[in-house]
Amino acid sequence: MRIKYLILAFMLLQVSSIKVAFCQNAATNSGGQVAIVQPKIMVIPYIKDGEDLRTILEADVTKRIAITTIKDGFDKRGFTTVDFIAKLKAAKDNNVFTSENQSDIKSQIIQFSGADVYVQAEVIVERSQTSGQSIKLILTAYEASTGNSLSNKVGESGKFYTEDFNKLASKAVENCIEDFLNVMQNKFTEIVNNGKSIIIEVSFSAESQSKMSTEIGTDNLPLSDQLEMWMEKNAYKNSYHIQGTTDLKMIFDDVKIPLKDQTNGNNYNPNKFALELFKFIKSLGLQPAKEIKGSTIYMTIK
Amino acid sequence: MKLNLLLHLTGIIILISLINSCSYKTLPTTETFPATEVNFLSGKEGTITLRSVGTGVNIEDAINSAEKNAINVLLFRGIPGSEQKTALIGINETEEINIHKEYFTRLYGEDRYKTFVMSSIPSTELIKYKAGKKSITVDIKINLVALRTDLEQNNIIRKFGF
Repeated sequence: MRIKYLILAFMLLQVSSIKVAFCQNAATNSGGQVAIVQPKIMVIPYIKDGEDLRTILEADVTKRIAITTIKDGFDKRGFTTVDFIAKLKAAKDNNVFTSENQSDIKSQIIQFSGADVYVQAEVIVERSQTSGQSIKLILTAYEASTGNSLSNKVGESGKFYTEDFNKLASKAVENCIEDFLNVMQNKFTEIVNNGKSIIIEVSFSAESQSKMSTEIGTDNLPLSDQLEMWMEKNAYKNSYHIQGTTDLKMIFDDVKIPLKDQTNGNNYNPNKFALELFKFIKSLGLQPAKEIKGSTIYMTIK
Repeated sequence: MKLNLLLHLTGIIILISLINSCSYKTLPTTETFPATEVNFLSGKEGTITLRSVGTGVNIEDAINSAEKNAINVLLFRGIPGSEQKTALIGINETEEINIHKEYFTRLYGEDRYKTFVMSSIPSTELIKYKAGKKSITVDIKINLVALRTDLEQNNIIRKFGF
């Protein structure tokens, strides 16, 4: 009898210690207020063949002014962007660049910056002795995880008989930035209403005995179908798209997850969704390993 | 003589009622949603200048109506050709006004909208309109940045981002 009480007391102690472990620190307690996690946005220059993303801004003051004016447009809307030059310097200091391929450099810096959205700015200088000088600006915003385009606008400075290209660059930005931001905001509203896109790749380790065609679970269905059925139930508003399935890999190239946990209103992220998928794969009797990079979940079944 | 007068009177009454039945009042939809004539003039650095038509019993009333029309079109329609092509709030004004009753009561009922109007310059004389009302065309400059910030701070629209 005494042993029973001792076990009970020990169990109660465990429960209270768990509570202490998950209890919110008084210093960080916001009283239940949840601030939605904002996307990280970075403005980068467009590069042509033969140009280097790492040095292009140093060499061209017009591009620097265009990028600064674009960032200023975000600031005026009360939104702080990630600074490209600062991230570039940090990436160089951390020896992030492992390749000389320009598209790799672009992806590496976007990945290193943790940007959810990047805005690419192409500055085209048009010189003419007869009809005046002008600058055209092509602005494109992309969702970094999926490559989905969020907003596209072309800004024009108009033709002027001036050599002040910096002023023309500012004028081109000012002529399109508000419209560009309004379209972006409409896309953000769509994301708030319909969920954020993530990518999920399910594959197998070299020593794995399972394949996508392996019949598994209580209903003995192929693993790929089990995964699709789970996704059907768990993707936000049933929104998911399968890029392709082979015996060794299954790629969901666009799975929507909510920005907020629908049960408690807390922020929701790819890591939490990955944990749910991890638990499901374990429940099928498999041993998964998960890795998350930005908005991409890599699930490897051992 | 009396019969003749009675016949004349009946004739006049029938004529008046016929004229009334043929008037614009037979089209309730145009009465409920009058055309808001608001057009884009220019826009720079967070301001927008619109040419708006307003109606009222006197000049002050008509200018107020033109200003309200301009703000209303910005909030619920957007202005093609300007930097604010889409509606600041949304296209369904009835639903939005119902949801945010308190804000709109202050905005229009207490003339708070006037704090976003930077200038109102009549571009026509006050001219006769209909039903004893007069109309005027006014060039109105609106502080778009302040209007958007006010909508954000009152949680009518979301701030930039998620």
